[in-house]
Amino acid sequence: MNTNPEQDAWSRLRAHAAARLDGGFADRVLQSAHGCPAPAWDRLRAAAADCLRPGFPDRVLAAARERFEIPSYGSQLALSALTAAACLAAVILFHHHELAAADARNLAEWSQIVAAAQDLDAGAR
Amino acid sequence: MDPSSSAALVELVRRAQRGDEAAQRELILAYQHRVAGFVFAMTNRSDVVEDLCQQIFIKMIRAVDRLQAPAQFESWLFRLARNTCIDQLRRQRLRRIFLPFADEHENIPEPPGAVDSEELDALRHALAQLRPQDRALLALVQEGRSHAEISEILGTSVAAVKARLHRAREQLREHYQP
Repeated sequence: MNTNPEQDAWSRLRAHAAARLDGGFADRVLQSAHGCPAPAWDRLRAAAADCLRPGFPDRVLAAARERFEIPSYGSQLALSALTAAACLAAVILFHHHELAAADARNLAEWSQIVAAAQDLDAGAR
Repeated sequence: MDPSSSAALVELVRRAQRGDEAAQRELILAYQHRVAGFVFAMTNRSDVVEDLCQQIFIKMIRAVDRLQAPAQFESWLFRLARNTCIDQLRRQRLRRIFLPFADEHENIPEPPGAVDSEELDALRHALAQLRPQDRALLALVQEGRSHAEISEILGTSVAAVKARLHRAREQLREHYQP
């Protein structure tokens, strides 16, 4: 039992103040602090957890092991550049080959013409 | 191992960084429900939760060896989750621009039983009215992240986090009608 009148007065004040707060006070404070009641968030978490089928960790680990990765823009760009460079090299090589063949053909034709001209010269003499 | 103790979590993360598959599995088991809750709050769609969670945890496994401070694993994981969800929402928006889908095709109603209470319905409705950044903020608070951690995850100041959080809570309260 409290015999201190001041302490007694404080206790009465606290009891009186506490009586002003109704039963749902704590819930209202929490709702005010969080924007909505905490059980709603709990239900959201539970609903989300239900979305994961059993064996989820195994599926994640298997997928990670496969190392399947969607190619990044950088790697796609590099592949395009590599393809373009390979095509350009093929075109240059082909062009060079064709040019060399044409030169060889022309030289052969010129040699024939020269030989024919020499024959004609020799015949005329 | 109980990853809620920070020393145990650091040890678990270190093992996962060394490529220990049992540790990686333990991390997935410890965080799968929390990450799923975060993804659901962010996207408001149950049909993408598992797919996004899988993406998040695959990213976690592939990048965990680059995590400098294992003690900050949780913040790092939720940053991964937030960025993955934001990317998904961006892709969804782009798809809406380029594909001639109407709203009714995009917003397929939840199957019966998926939404089981008025409270949850009301929360999902209220969250849907908020910007994705604000949804992320509220979901991170629900995950027990401190203001300092959230500011690090979102790349902003603590003061900005407090101000945005205050606004987001007010908006949520405004739209929450069970």
